[in-house]
Amino acid sequence: MSAPAGIGEPEPPPDDHTLLGLREMELNFGPQHPSTHGVLRIILKVDGERIVSARPEIGYLHRGTEKLFETETYPMVIPHTDRLDYVAAATNNHAYCLTVEKMLGLEVPKKAQYIRVLLDEMQRISSHLLWLATAGIDLGAMTPFFYTFREREVILDLFEEYCGARLTLHCMRIGGLLEDLTPGWIQKVRDFTVPFEARIDEYEDLLTENRIWKLRTIGVGVLNAARCVEMGVTGPPLRAAGLAWDVRRAIPYEVYPELDFEIPVGKNADTYDRYLVRMAELRQSRRIVLQCCDWLEKNPEGPIRGKTPRVIKPPVGEAYAAVEAPKGELGFYLVSNGTNKPYRLHVRPPSFINLQALPEMAKGHLVSDLVAVIGTIDIVLGEVDR
Amino acid sequence: MEISPSLLNNVLIPIVKALVIVNVMAVMSGVLTIIERRSLAFLQVRKGPNRVGWEGSLQWVADTVKLLFKEDVVPEKAEHLIHYLAPVLVVVPALTVFAVIPWGPEMTFRVPGIGKITTGAYATDLNVGLLFILAVTSIGIYGIILAGWASNSKYALLGGLRSAAQLISYEVPMGFAVVSVILMSRSLSLVEIIEAQRRMHLWFVFPGLLAFFLYFLSGVAETNRVPFDLPEAESELVAGFHTEYSGIKWSFFFLGEYANMVTVSAIATTLFFGGWLRPFPNVAALSFLDLIPGIVWFLAKIFVFMLVYIWFRGTFPRYRFDQLMDLGWKTLIPLALVNLVVIAIAALGGTRGLQILAWILCGGFALAVVVVTRTRSRKAARAARPVTPVEVRA
Amino acid sequence: MSFWDSILLLDIFTGLRTTAKHLFRKADTVEYPEQARVPSDRFRGMFRLDEERCIKCTLCAIECPINIIFIDWHNEKNELGKNEKVLDRFDLDLKRCMFCGLCEDACPTNPKSIWLKTKTYELGTYERDDALYLDIRKLTKWDHNVKPFTIVEKGE
Repeated sequence: MSAPAGIGEPEPPPDDHTLLGLREMELNFGPQHPSTHGVLRIILKVDGERIVSARPEIGYLHRGTEKLFETETYPMVIPHTDRLDYVAAATNNHAYCLTVEKMLGLEVPKKAQYIRVLLDEMQRISSHLLWLATAGIDLGAMTPFFYTFREREVILDLFEEYCGARLTLHCMRIGGLLEDLTPGWIQKVRDFTVPFEARIDEYEDLLTENRIWKLRTIGVGVLNAARCVEMGVTGPPLRAAGLAWDVRRAIPYEVYPELDFEIPVGKNADTYDRYLVRMAELRQSRRIVLQCCDWLEKNPEGPIRGKTPRVIKPPVGEAYAAVEAPKGELGFYLVSNGTNKPYRLHVRPPSFINLQALPEMAKGHLVSDLVAVIGTIDIVLGEVDR
Repeated sequence: MEISPSLLNNVLIPIVKALVIVNVMAVMSGVLTIIERRSLAFLQVRKGPNRVGWEGSLQWVADTVKLLFKEDVVPEKAEHLIHYLAPVLVVVPALTVFAVIPWGPEMTFRVPGIGKITTGAYATDLNVGLLFILAVTSIGIYGIILAGWASNSKYALLGGLRSAAQLISYEVPMGFAVVSVILMSRSLSLVEIIEAQRRMHLWFVFPGLLAFFLYFLSGVAETNRVPFDLPEAESELVAGFHTEYSGIKWSFFFLGEYANMVTVSAIATTLFFGGWLRPFPNVAALSFLDLIPGIVWFLAKIFVFMLVYIWFRGTFPRYRFDQLMDLGWKTLIPLALVNLVVIAIAALGGTRGLQILAWILCGGFALAVVVVTRTRSRKAARAARPVTPVEVRA
Repeated sequence: MSFWDSILLLDIFTGLRTTAKHLFRKADTVEYPEQARVPSDRFRGMFRLDEERCIKCTLCAIECPINIIFIDWHNEKNELGKNEKVLDRFDLDLKRCMFCGLCEDACPTNPKSIWLKTKTYELGTYERDDALYLDIRKLTKWDHNVKPFTIVEKGE
């Protein structure tokens, strides 16, 4: 199968030979490879084990979601957004609801905003835990997988108690939320979150100072801030490059301006810094969750859904809204023609855009580093292919 | 019927011993898989296989039966003969090595119809036992390289090549570590090495602390185990050299790997931990420990090493290929050479010299660990991380 | 990490200690067929339909994002001589269902006539057809073990 030229990498001329006069070996990496995080296919040109070029081939999970959006009414789109980044459904719901609310000019009640932020941050913790699990197992560290899944399971249980689903939450509605918190839920969140700090320390004990982990990650997959900006890379890869860009602070939404948290920033833009940034984000998310818990305990009463029309028909126009998803800036761009269905709904998926940097990050490294690079971008193929 | 002593000693007993050892080893590899899976599960707060038999103890039987009856898939363009031969080349040397491993001291027992038999709990006591082990274990690598090449698969090829480079690099520090033991014991026979440890009143691990460390590290690397499991790195090369193998051929690789693990543990036990000797073999106050036969001591020591293997697997990430080479050539080999010189000097002083070296090494190591752990808190290390929180204003 | 830490392999020992600590912790495994998790009250699982309450408005079928609910009905005169809708068919393509709960949201009756909060999640079938269409008889008595309909009101 002849693939189109890669994104960052021009096709090498046909008479391109290595030193010994030998051609590079072409290695098909995926889509059924154990560490491509789903169905990513990468066509590698390797010289021995050194990567000459890496070309991602995407589309194995393409479901035509964006086209499907156009056939659904506005509330019916929400369950489909669950399935974009299926390990972080809450942020997907959130981004979409924000876009439609912006279009309608809806006011979301304060309590709903706090619950949304709480759900977002819990989702960020669970997504980062999943990332740590898979990135660890990519580099051969198999045990963090089980430890993080133990904690992630608690978060999923909490989601199940709140909204009835563990993964594809469908927990937000346009104008607010569907359901109020169950009694005692806040306390359960607190029971999980407070000792969670010690659990993060445990993961760090296993990996952060470990010499093998450091050897495998330091200096691997460097993508500096300038290139990040040029490619539109957001999220932890951008922050690890030293640029403190976080949608939660840069384009504040919901109640984030009222919350006290910091944006962790790395220096070296390599895999190790991205790891550190994500670990620091786990701690920051924990802080936000606890602040939300405090607020919600002080203000248990209040509406959870604003004045939402029975049939949602945004005026003719366009709107873009974004949230800071665990993987980066997740945005929805909505074009409305005044009917009850979106005329066009485009997703700006962080995984897809971050994946563009893969050829540049992987070039010159060994095949072993490629798995580290794929792991560090933190892709979810549901979001890449849509 | 009268059996002549020469027939008995030269033919019958070796055959029986060889049969027993080969079969015991094959079964032991199976049992080890279930031990590994369960222990790994406990390290990872899960339960592991616990359905077949008592607490999953018969899982390995079920697995073996499954593997025996599984379809044997051979890629169409594979080199069929070599593809077939490779697993055999892995297993046969791995099992051959057990011929010289001394499981226990000489035993005397009565066999009805033949009479008293006195024989060692080992197939043979070669006077060049150590050399034999080093030579035979390195044959196994051919199996892996050929498997990688004959599969006609790129992943398998990469795995085979990695394995070749790795094995060659780590034979060297392993050889140096073994030589330092030979210097201490002045013999190549494994039985004689154990006897030397009894005579000198000390396990060789104490003067040979560094040598043991080097030996075990190289051993882990030679058996392709975590953190050096590059040839079969699951997340990189799918399954490395045995990607294209299935059924009983695949299980031969598995058998070979576990047999090699037992070999490395057994040799480490013999060379550094006194083989079948009980702890402190010359302290009379502990003589009640002699009630436990030597073979049990030996197996117990091996088992501890196996647990360490599993513990490593549960803890560490995997090295990268070039980093592995760096570690081998730039760190382990120089260390091994230095160690060899130190031991050679100490060995000049005979038993006394070795004992002094043991005190210096172990005391120094313990002291250094205490000092460093006391003076440094983990909190401080964490505060020095490069991630600095920065506020950004909208 | 200082030079001495690195020589003494402190990082290695820290990792080994962490896993060793976990050796003595209780496994978190739920051994499924013997022990099963009880889903929460809001858990969206298998459907139930109350034919008595259903007013055949077909709103659930309209709201379904993937159109897997099929409803047919006809008018019949009841004993009072009034027209009454009678269900011919209420089919659900269960294997495509994504359990989003929008049908339940859309249902105008109170209490709801279709709901997912049956706490039943063991929906595997041996035959593809078993999951293909669930006819009305299965929807009304899907499982005798499921709990009766519980409405989770806010702040309950």
